[in-house]
Amino acid sequence: MEVLREMVEEEEVAEREEAAESIKWNEKVEKMVRPLEMRKEETTLTQETLRDLEKKLSEIEIPTPAERLVFTTDTIDISNLPLSYKTNTPKEEHLLQVAGNFSRQYSHLCPDRVPLFLNPLNECEVPKFVSTTIRPTLMPYPDLYNWDSCAQFVSDFLTMVPLPDPLKPPSYLFSSTTVLKYQKGNCFDFSTLLCSMLIGAGYDAYCVNGYGSQDLCLMDLTWEVCPLTVKPKETIKQKEKALPKKYTIKPPRDLSSRFEQEQEITKQQEMRAQEERRLREEEERLLEAEKAKPDPLHGLRVHCWVLVLLGKREVPESFFIDPFTARSYSTQDDHFLGIESLWNHKNYWINMQDCWNCCKDLVFDLGDPMRWEYMLLGTDKPYLSLTEVNDEDDAENLGKEDEDKSFDMPSSWVDQIEISPEAFETRCPNGKKVIQYRRAKLEKWAPYLNGNGLVGRLTTYEDLECTKILEIKEWYQNREDMLELRQIQKGTGLNTDYFKPGHPQALRVHSYKSLQPEMDRTMEFYETARVDGLIKREETPRTMTEYYQGRPDFLFYRHVDFGPRVKKVALSSTESNPRPLVKITERFSRNLAKPADEDVAERVFLIAEERIQLRYHCRDDHITASKREFLQRMEVDSKGNKIIMTPDMCTSFEVEPMEHTKKLLYQYETMMHLKAEEKLARHQVWESEQEVLETLKLREEEEEAHTLAISIYDTKRNEKSKEYREAMERVMHEEHLRQMEAQLDYLAPFLAQLPPGEKLTRWQVMHLKDECLSDFKQRLIDKANHIQARFEKEIQELQKKQQWYQENQVALTAEDESMYLSYCSQTMFRIRILEQRLNRHKELARLKYLALEEKLYKHPRLAEYLKAST
Amino acid sequence: MNRLCDSMEPRVMDDDMLKLAVGEQGPQEEAGQLAKQEGILFKDVLSLQLDFQNILRIDNLWQFENLRKLQLDNNIIERIEGLENLTHLVWLDLSFNNIEAIEGLDTLVNLEDLSLFSNRISKIDSLDALVKLQVLSLGNNQIGNMMNIIYLRRFKCLRTLSLSGNPISEAEDYRMFICAYLPDLVYLDFQRIDDHVAKLAETKHQYSIDELKHRENLQQARLEDEKAQREELEKHKDAFVELLNGSFLFDSMYAEDVEGNKLSYLPSVGELLEAYKDKFVIICLNVFEYGMKQQEKRKTELDTFNECVHEAIQENQQEGRRKIAKFEEKYLLGLSAIREESELPNVKKMIMECSEDITELSNTLMTLEMQLVEQLEEAINMFERNITDLVGSFIENVQSLMAQCRDLENHHHEKLLEISINTLEKILKGDLDEDLPDDVRALFVDKDTVVNAVGASHDIHLLKIDNREDELVTRINSWCTHLIDKVHRDEIMRNRKRVKEINQYIDHIQSELDNLEWGDILD
Repeated sequence: MEVLREMVEEEEVAEREEAAESIKWNEKVEKMVRPLEMRKEETTLTQETLRDLEKKLSEIEIPTPAERLVFTTDTIDISNLPLSYKTNTPKEEHLLQVAGNFSRQYSHLCPDRVPLFLNPLNECEVPKFVSTTIRPTLMPYPDLYNWDSCAQFVSDFLTMVPLPDPLKPPSYLFSSTTVLKYQKGNCFDFSTLLCSMLIGAGYDAYCVNGYGSQDLCLMDLTWEVCPLTVKPKETIKQKEKALPKKYTIKPPRDLSSRFEQEQEITKQQEMRAQEERRLREEEERLLEAEKAKPDPLHGLRVHCWVLVLLGKREVPESFFIDPFTARSYSTQDDHFLGIESLWNHKNYWINMQDCWNCCKDLVFDLGDPMRWEYMLLGTDKPYLSLTEVNDEDDAENLGKEDEDKSFDMPSSWVDQIEISPEAFETRCPNGKKVIQYRRAKLEKWAPYLNGNGLVGRLTTYEDLECTKILEIKEWYQNREDMLELRQIQKGTGLNTDYFKPGHPQALRVHSYKSLQPEMDRTMEFYETARVDGLIKREETPRTMTEYYQGRPDFLFYRHVDFGPRVKKVALSSTESNPRPLVKITERFSRNLAKPADEDVAERVFLIAEERIQLRYHCRDDHITASKREFLQRMEVDSKGNKIIMTPDMCTSFEVEPMEHTKKLLYQYETMMHLKAEEKLARHQVWESEQEVLETLKLREEEEEAHTLAISIYDTKRNEKSKEYREAMERVMHEEHLRQMEAQLDYLAPFLAQLPPGEKLTRWQVMHLKDECLSDFKQRLIDKANHIQARFEKEIQELQKKQQWYQENQVALTAEDESMYLSYCSQTMFRIRILEQRLNRHKELARLKYLALEEKLYKHPRLAEYLKAST
Repeated sequence: MNRLCDSMEPRVMDDDMLKLAVGEQGPQEEAGQLAKQEGILFKDVLSLQLDFQNILRIDNLWQFENLRKLQLDNNIIERIEGLENLTHLVWLDLSFNNIEAIEGLDTLVNLEDLSLFSNRISKIDSLDALVKLQVLSLGNNQIGNMMNIIYLRRFKCLRTLSLSGNPISEAEDYRMFICAYLPDLVYLDFQRIDDHVAKLAETKHQYSIDELKHRENLQQARLEDEKAQREELEKHKDAFVELLNGSFLFDSMYAEDVEGNKLSYLPSVGELLEAYKDKFVIICLNVFEYGMKQQEKRKTELDTFNECVHEAIQENQQEGRRKIAKFEEKYLLGLSAIREESELPNVKKMIMECSEDITELSNTLMTLEMQLVEQLEEAINMFERNITDLVGSFIENVQSLMAQCRDLENHHHEKLLEISINTLEKILKGDLDEDLPDDVRALFVDKDTVVNAVGASHDIHLLKIDNREDELVTRINSWCTHLIDKVHRDEIMRNRKRVKEINQYIDHIQSELDNLEWGDILD
């Protein structure tokens, strides 16, 4: 309380400033209001548009309490709200009375504290106790099970509206359902919704009414560093120094002067300290410059946030959540300047502790009546350090509680909080949200909103005014090419694309300056998805380096140097002109199946010099490795014969000279093998180049097309599955109809002639049967006749046409003739079909007749007589 | 079997024949010219084909040490011999010969493919060494007994078998039998065994196979048991306290002790002996446990030492490799610069620089090596001290325990003597109640005989104990000396090898540089 008094005093001192501030504030409000009113006058269009417009406008008017009254009565459609919103149950009335009593006693006991925020009006102008406004709900989305995602959702989903009076709690507190519907709210609305969700998810969460810093209350993040730009601190792994073993050799004697070393060290330290001091000073200067003007209302701004206490859901430590930004703060954070009261769905507590040092000294032991004054007895918060004496004191001081002892908090009046899947997916109002941070701007979009799958963009700036772009990060979702993140460095012009697994070329990271080939670029791959085990390919205009992993030939590195492209004069432009290869270096890891002397570690093909260099692996107990160099030049001896192999074509150094390697035959064979390998390596280089070209082409195409992939489980968006589902439904429907048909009683028309309900006589039955059969027979005959008639008609028509053709054959054009021919063939086809149908009908008619007779015999109403008769 | 060749003169596998074959089958074309120029050594040949040569006797093949594939089919060979040296052989073809028995294959442990098709073999055996055998062709032979198949069960890798053309293949359930007894087989007589047949065969012969399997398992278990026992004993031997974890020593004391055994018939000696044995065995067990513990200690000591030495060497090698790599980088640059340089004085200067570099490298490497030698020497000396101390204390403790044994024996001896004399007195007096065997009674003639007998027994016992103790001490001492010798020797060897390596490398580089110089001057 002292802090408040001090604050007030301070305020008096700074009265003038504040007055100026408040004038500004009013002006601002007026500015906002006036154009709206003007527009209101203009909009005398249809009822609907007017209403729509009005609704929109009135939502914007929330800052002024007067306007807000209008808004609630006029525009929030309270007619559809359930009864619990409009009236109070007796229990709630009782609670309000209790609250009123509590409030009176409180103001009597603590006259210097601000009145409690207990029962604000809801959207229907009905006073409701704050605790009953919290409606614990567990959301059906698994994403909303943890506090961080919940908070993120609330902060994304709602648009922040500042409090009508920044120094007072609002007089209205809407239900969460209404807030969700209009996607707007002040900090109390935010906190109530978040608290409902967190309690529903099992957290021990509370709404806190208190005082926050200006940034916090106005959701001003421009002074905050964007959390996405903060690099995770590298945890320095403390390498456990192995204890020196018994026989660990002693290091060689150090012969340098210790004095000199010390001198050096002290000198360096001085230098470093100086440097550090300079840096710190600079930093401080910068900070000073960046620091905002002190807030005149510091410590008086009312804010509402969420407190999560330790214990439930394995929360190790109590913390605050700011519902606007979804960030968590420790309870010692500087942004939170004091707490008046806090509540959950069960009870209401008033803070009796001093907030002179912000919230740093507060103890969140709600069971302690010295620190937290509760409103209702019988809470589930045990007093952690309960003693007999204290308890008695309480009883004396606050004897009024006795009567309320059995009183429970009534259940919430708010309807079940529901978030539709569409709304959940769209998240932000209209699917878009922009947050301004210090030197950074974060934009968010709902998935599928942007055609290229963009869901987020973080722009970091060099300066505070956000004019010079430093770096842009763009996040994508659901892209067919699996692009996940693109990073654009404005300074260097370097683009880096990150891909999720599943790109056709198994691309993982692609950083480039331009998509033109033979430029600086790095491609990283998901090596498990590639047959050749390529991890990384780096390119510069003149070189290409490839890194491999897990290859059966143990190759892990290949470096290619290209020469400048030779200009060929007579070369058509379509033919490719590959760059000449100068050098190919390949490195292999150790193949343990071979002895080290035969296992090549490095192979260098100096193509321009026609030389091949081999370096072998080092033996375990050696420090030198064998080497071999082959000269490929073909020479011709004096007689014109080709010299196959001479000893000077191969120079080698062997760690342990062996007999067989000195032989020319061995060298010759090795060289032949290497020649083949060189050819292969050149081919592979060519293939790599081709692959790069292909990848670049593919990337370009993907960038242009940027189609979005739709999951087969996404029933809303996936057209194919939708169609399929609809088709299935149709089929089901038809099947159903057919079944209905099948159940038709074929005797129904005949039975209808007889008086209903009576038992049939034998004669009647026989008659009925005969009638039914004869009727069916007639139908069959009719059908046969019908087919016959059609058949004859077709034949007649054909004959007519033929006749016509015979007569006019000479005069006909080719076109007419072809038409005639096609007509003939069609007619012939029809005739044939009719003929077939007739035959088939003739065959089936008898069977059908028999089947009907059988059925009649089995019919429940005729069966007994017919059975008897046969 | 080879009738066609029967009419021809048998030939001898002589050098000419082999050379011819090697030449013909060696590298061709350009490589062939080179090969001819140089000549091919028999030991470099990997594959040799000697078919249709009318060979009667396999001979002269001992030089082909590295031969992988040998074809001797379509000859008139009668015995498998002369293949002992070809241990790398993988593929051996002896089909179409006149072989009557399988033999001489005991050294060919790497053999995977063996063809003895069309011979005169009647029994499958002597193949035990061919653990890697995969393909076995024995068609067109005279194998008549089905039980030969069971012999093939021991080849776990055998996948292909051909036996057609043998008397057994006439049998009714020939295929079934083989499929059942060789379940891992994939091809039989060049046909794939389909799963259906395999299953059918298995059900058909299930009982006998189960029995066979049971027997095999039993044998396997017994072998494993024996092996485990052997290993355990080996471990105890390493600790120098074998056979001390029981009454072996005590039993051995009485094994050769005639008098002692006779005396045990005396009244109350039995109990005395029993108590003595118990105490003795307890001490033995103490020695055993102590020995095992000490062995563990010595082992950890040795392991730590080896590890440390290894680490030190590794580190040193890494350092050396780094130095060399750094040098080579610089050196190669220098070389190419020299090649491009045309001014003679400049070249000279550069060459000078290079050789300076080489000298510097040589010095650095040698310094590294010397440093390592010094460090290792220190470590080795420490290890030597420690291990000697360990061994010394072990010996001391064992000796004190053994002294306890001796005390026990002395004590026992006194007691026995007392009883014996008492008995003698009783016998002399004639009031001995119990019956004694005659040869025992024969001892009790007079006091000297009795005392001698007891003394002899005592001497034998003491001798045994002394022997055991001596053996232990000698062995552990020799182990210790050997170990230390080995450590020193290894270190010296390592040092020499490294110095040699460095010198060789430096020489190589120097000569390279010299050659360059020479070539340049010529230019």
